Amino acid sequence: MNPFGTFIQLLVDGLAQGSIYGALALAIVLVNQATGLVNFAQGGMAVLGSYIGLTIGNLLIPGVGSTLGVVLGIVAAVIASLALGGVVERFVMRRFERAEEDTKVVATIGLLTLITGLVGLIWGFNPTPYPFFFGGSESLRIGDVSISVWSIVTFTTIVALMVVLQILFRGTKFGLGMRAVADNAPSAALAGIRVGGLRMAGWGLAAALGTVAAILLASKSQLTPNNFDGILVYALAAVVIGGLDSPIGAVVAALGITILESLAAAYIPWIGHDLKVVVPFVLVFVVLIIRPQGLFGRRAVVRV
Amino acid sequence: MKTTLSGRRAIAVAASVGAIALVLAGCARGGGDVAPTGEDTSAAVEPSPGITDTTLTFGISTPLTGATAGPGNCTVDGALAYFGTKNAEGGITFGDGKTRKIEIKSYDDEYNPEKSAANFNQMVADGVFAAGLGLGTPTNRAWREAAIEADVPQVLVMTGDPIFSDRTESPVQLGLVPIYQQEGAAFGEALVANGQPHKVAALYQNDDYGKGYLQGFKDAVAGNPNIEIVKELSYEPGPASSTPNYLEPQVTELAGTGADVFFQAVSVTPRVVENLAKAAAIGWTPIWFLPSNTASPGGVLTPAGVTETTYPGIYAVGFSEAAAAPPFAESEAGKAYFAAIAEYAQGPEQDGKAFPHCVWSWIGAQILEQAFEKMTEPTRDSFLDALYSIKGFDAQFAFGSIDTTVDGLPAIQTVSLQKFNGKGYTNVDVVG
Amino acid sequence: MKGYDAVVSNRWVRLGAFLVVLVVLAVLPLVADPFTNQTISHIAVFAVAILGLNIVMGFTGQVSLGHSFFVGIGAYAAIIPIRDWWGGPLAEGAIVIGFVLSGLIPGVLGLLIALVTVRLRGLALAMVTIALPTIGLPLAQKFSDFTGGNEGISIRRLDYVGADGQVHKGNPFAAGPGLENDQWQYYIVIAIALAFFALAYFLVRGKYGRAFAIVRSNEAIASSMGVSPYRYKVLAFTIAAVYGGIAGFLLIVWGQFTSSETLAFHHSIDLVIASIVGGAGSIVGAVLGGVFYVTVSQIMNGLQLSIYTTLVQGVVIILILFLLPGGLASLPRTIRRLVRRGAAGHSVEAGHAADSASGNTKTQVQPSEERNT
Repeated sequence: MNPFGTFIQLLVDGLAQGSIYGALALAIVLVNQATGLVNFAQGGMAVLGSYIGLTIGNLLIPGVGSTLGVVLGIVAAVIASLALGGVVERFVMRRFERAEEDTKVVATIGLLTLITGLVGLIWGFNPTPYPFFFGGSESLRIGDVSISVWSIVTFTTIVALMVVLQILFRGTKFGLGMRAVADNAPSAALAGIRVGGLRMAGWGLAAALGTVAAILLASKSQLTPNNFDGILVYALAAVVIGGLDSPIGAVVAALGITILESLAAAYIPWIGHDLKVVVPFVLVFVVLIIRPQGLFGRRAVVRV
Repeated sequence: MKTTLSGRRAIAVAASVGAIALVLAGCARGGGDVAPTGEDTSAAVEPSPGITDTTLTFGISTPLTGATAGPGNCTVDGALAYFGTKNAEGGITFGDGKTRKIEIKSYDDEYNPEKSAANFNQMVADGVFAAGLGLGTPTNRAWREAAIEADVPQVLVMTGDPIFSDRTESPVQLGLVPIYQQEGAAFGEALVANGQPHKVAALYQNDDYGKGYLQGFKDAVAGNPNIEIVKELSYEPGPASSTPNYLEPQVTELAGTGADVFFQAVSVTPRVVENLAKAAAIGWTPIWFLPSNTASPGGVLTPAGVTETTYPGIYAVGFSEAAAAPPFAESEAGKAYFAAIAEYAQGPEQDGKAFPHCVWSWIGAQILEQAFEKMTEPTRDSFLDALYSIKGFDAQFAFGSIDTTVDGLPAIQTVSLQKFNGKGYTNVDVVG
Repeated sequence: MKGYDAVVSNRWVRLGAFLVVLVVLAVLPLVADPFTNQTISHIAVFAVAILGLNIVMGFTGQVSLGHSFFVGIGAYAAIIPIRDWWGGPLAEGAIVIGFVLSGLIPGVLGLLIALVTVRLRGLALAMVTIALPTIGLPLAQKFSDFTGGNEGISIRRLDYVGADGQVHKGNPFAAGPGLENDQWQYYIVIAIALAFFALAYFLVRGKYGRAFAIVRSNEAIASSMGVSPYRYKVLAFTIAAVYGGIAGFLLIVWGQFTSSETLAFHHSIDLVIASIVGGAGSIVGAVLGGVFYVTVSQIMNGLQLSIYTTLVQGVVIILILFLLPGGLASLPRTIRRLVRRGAAGHSVEAGHAADSASGNTKTQVQPSEERNT
């Protein structure tokens, strides 16, 4: 492979891996818009959803064949995640609506601990392959560069979901309501908007989105209870860089840091792969100092 | 002023109460007053803690929760299965003629050295006779010196860190699995043996594990003009809770070197799966080297979609049979192993084959049994003497015989280079 | 109940109770078994770390998810001078240097970080703090020749030249004659921990505590009163870093070992959980948080049920947040309130008064302390 081929290959790989971070970042933005908090359990919920999909898929495969079984498993996982997200919002997080910032953070951390503990006990710790339509090695070759089928599916799925969410937010009554709730819940309630329902919907959608990302990731490697722990940290970095209120910003930032990280590792010798994790987080520092609302976020007006 | 005066009075009261209490307490814990009796050989030997005429307690501190819980649970489950079976048969007859049952106590350290140090304190308080079999370099190192101080055997630990098998540095320790350098060297020697020129690309975990493998390999190929290491890349293992997210950029970069051998010392199973798929996808088909803990045919190679013909050769260094390979499950010993795991394992959804550590723990349990059968006194000293004198013991599932008499080497020292044959591994001497 | 309250709020009773605790702490290690001493020391180590977290999170309301960074740096700052110099002419001086550096280096780092970042709020600050261990850990591993990498540094058996001119192995924290190691280490840990708890107590009672509370409740009002939120938030963040670092030193006294793993992000999460379970807004809460951090694992080990530890921790956190938002430290107050409510015969007014009296446990600490002064 020539040096230019390597460069392009790093870009292509970064786009696919980055879109996984982006999906989780998108879910975090969604929850933040709906309920004004940052959900540290987002990755844990995604893993739970993907285990549900795996279990249902494996149950169905003997009866309906592998392709339909996997599809139905994914559908079931998405529905289960929608429900799970709504239920968690209604019966757990609703309690902390008016709590202090740190209490909210800890509540979601508690949720993460609980879910991780449950998943480990129910499904064990063995890395489990996710039955999927194609293996990780199937790929198209364009010149020197190989683009795996997985990369194409992952990237397009997540970009499509991002576009759908953007339309939902900006162009529908639902999105308008959601923004009204995010902006000022009491006034939204006075205006006749069903605040509680919208919040549940926000959590449910976010959970479903995370589950799709977790299934995509598992189809490339394997499923483990701690699959998303490391990814959550990158997703949070992307959210901060892109802006807490910007779905596009979160995804663009996620792709950006992933690519920047591997390029820095490859082409800046003193960073290398040992210290590449430093790149996104130094970027977080810089962005926060120069533009605290994030690159794509809108400046929040603080009222006293 | 009033506050100051009364404050003084209060302090005076407290001080006198404290002084009285100190005097009273002076002899309360007075263990030091007991006259030493150990020198008298004619009297019956005082048994060490953790051993009675009918039982022996063995402690395992290992990760049971968190990201390393998979292999961690295996380190307990293999021993539970082996000794569970033995206990059900009535127990083990020790060298002093008494038959004892073995009680395993497990302690979760979450792969956190601070917790494993606390676990050691707890094990001492719980009166374990000896401890070991646990997984992890930092977690075992955190109480290595405490074990020496307290004279508690820390044996058959599952880390390739050489310090545990150095008798001077570690007088009450012994490693179970081959040291990392041995595995790397075995591949290096076999590569030299084929006499062909090779360009080697290396990817290693930036800790004692990855560096140990690479060092062993380098030492073995040193001075051989045929073999050139063209590029070495590393990755950060990260804390136990968050394993690295993906290593494909490194594979892509290494592919750019055009190397024909890929020395890959990566310990995280999902990442190895991805890397195996990735190299083939970008058209890089080198000879692969895989470490023993991430080379499982069922757990790594098949999920990666790798067949016998994907690469010119996938080599792994093994020192035990793989539970996931078909011949294992068909053998009598294998059947007994799986039955025991199904009956006695405590880890959630434990199948005994997803991680090799279950089999390793089973081998470790057999070595312990050997030591128990040889120890003539119910003491830790006698146990260590017995443990350090095992030679020519053929343990189930281990390649080569166990030899614990060599300073500097762990209990299992026979490593074999193996080549993937599409289903399992075949032992080979030469690469190519 | 009035009588009970009167007794509890009597300063003599309080002082007496405090002295009894002191005496018990002083005598206990002489009679208790080594494991008890080690466990109490272990709790004290983390109580100090959690106290730092409470100062930054509980008292000024800044979310900090990087506290393990300061603990880990403090542990390195303590252990490296001891490793390098204790066996030499500096001897015990190396321990003193380690102690000073373990507070100083994290403090300076905390100050520098705070100067730039405390203007941020909510997630932004949380992210910056997450970045600390995330960057710190690979750096520590990169420079493994100095830090010992993941194999860590152990100083339990250091070489030194004895009076006989021979090289011996010795533990810098070994006890002198008359005491066992566990007792000696207990006394060092407890004495330092008590000193730092006393410091925090007087800090929170005084002008700084009031300023923290005002800044926490409303920054605009604070500014209008001439209390600079920026200054006090930087101060709280820096103090928290120092406490984290000192906890790192105590960790070395307790275990004589550290490795890059101590820095890991998930230990920050463990500390935050312990802080909330104990009660982030109170000093006693830090002790209870330390108890939670240490004993849950021990109890689960003791029951041989450790595979359920994560699940149990998750359930406990959610239950605490639901039932005792002020953490375990608020348990007596909550019980008293419930009892009073019962006694008042469901008087709405009484319940209301009690509620507003206990109010938000986090901001309530100062006013009630003030009344006593």
